[in-house]
Amino acid sequence: MQNRLLSISEAARLLGVSIDTLRRWDTSGRLTSIRSGPRGHRFYKQSDIERFLQEIEAMARDWAESVNPVKPNPDVYCQTRDVFQARLETLQSKLSKIMSIETVSLIVAVAGEIGNNSFDHNLGNWPDIPGIFFSYAIRNRKVVLVDRGQGILTTLKRVRPELTNSRDAMKVAFTETISGRYPESRGNGLKFVKSIIVKNPLSLYFQTGNAQLYLKKKDDQLDIQQAATAIKGCFAVISFEELS
Amino acid sequence: MTIDLNKFGTTLVSRPAGKEAWLAYQPVLKEAPQNEKIIVDFSGVVVLTPSWADEFLTPLREKFRERVELINTDNPSIKATLEILNENR
Repeated sequence: MQNRLLSISEAARLLGVSIDTLRRWDTSGRLTSIRSGPRGHRFYKQSDIERFLQEIEAMARDWAESVNPVKPNPDVYCQTRDVFQARLETLQSKLSKIMSIETVSLIVAVAGEIGNNSFDHNLGNWPDIPGIFFSYAIRNRKVVLVDRGQGILTTLKRVRPELTNSRDAMKVAFTETISGRYPESRGNGLKFVKSIIVKNPLSLYFQTGNAQLYLKKKDDQLDIQQAATAIKGCFAVISFEELS
Repeated sequence: MTIDLNKFGTTLVSRPAGKEAWLAYQPVLKEAPQNEKIIVDFSGVVVLTPSWADEFLTPLREKFRERVELINTDNPSIKATLEILNENR
């Protein structure tokens, strides 16, 4: 089964991209096809597709940790909020074909809140590359969102100067109504994300600075750990394996 | 009067979009007859987040208070958003 050949439309569906994107990736060598049949149609090895799906998270992490970063591939890069909104709506429409509207609503709300948080808190203050890395693998039921922004500690320190580490800052962001955008009074983004994750079969991996968090259904405590490698901004992976 | 939120889109997630919706709707709100209920109809909205709602629903409720009535709020992200917003009221 592993090396079954898939048609370009099957591969596109598994990867959540268009057929045109796959043709472009083939030309650029990013994901190569096998030409077969009298008319040279493109086919893909199932193992290549599986490997590519695993790579999305690795690519995102490379970008988050990179010391000399470059702009990510245009397919996964949202430099502005408008691009993010359009791609979020595309994700919504793709998920709607395979899941109930209730489920789609939750996944897109969590992704939308995390992605927009990156723009809200870094507008005009991006340390190097502006915008976010936004990618998803519908087959693997994962959405990845990364920014190279200032991170939660720097943002919240403006209103909570007593915060000294990412761990405490992350805890505040996930449990209290607070905004780093003083004098705006509201800031519920990550608290909202937490309220959805703990009540539904969704899980979240979130890292900012050197603090990381795994959150899943029924978690009543935040289990924040020290991450192996620190990052500047925020790195989030939303998983929804059990949802249909 | 009734505000059909889906006329602002089906994916209402960002703060700037919520703020823009609020500003764009001011002329209509100015014409709302006194003492008439302001019904906010969520039908057709697929995704709502607190960021968008904070910029539209929060000022709407501050301005019209008890006159605001929310209907068709069954969708899960709408429910979760309203719960968070209500906690802070």
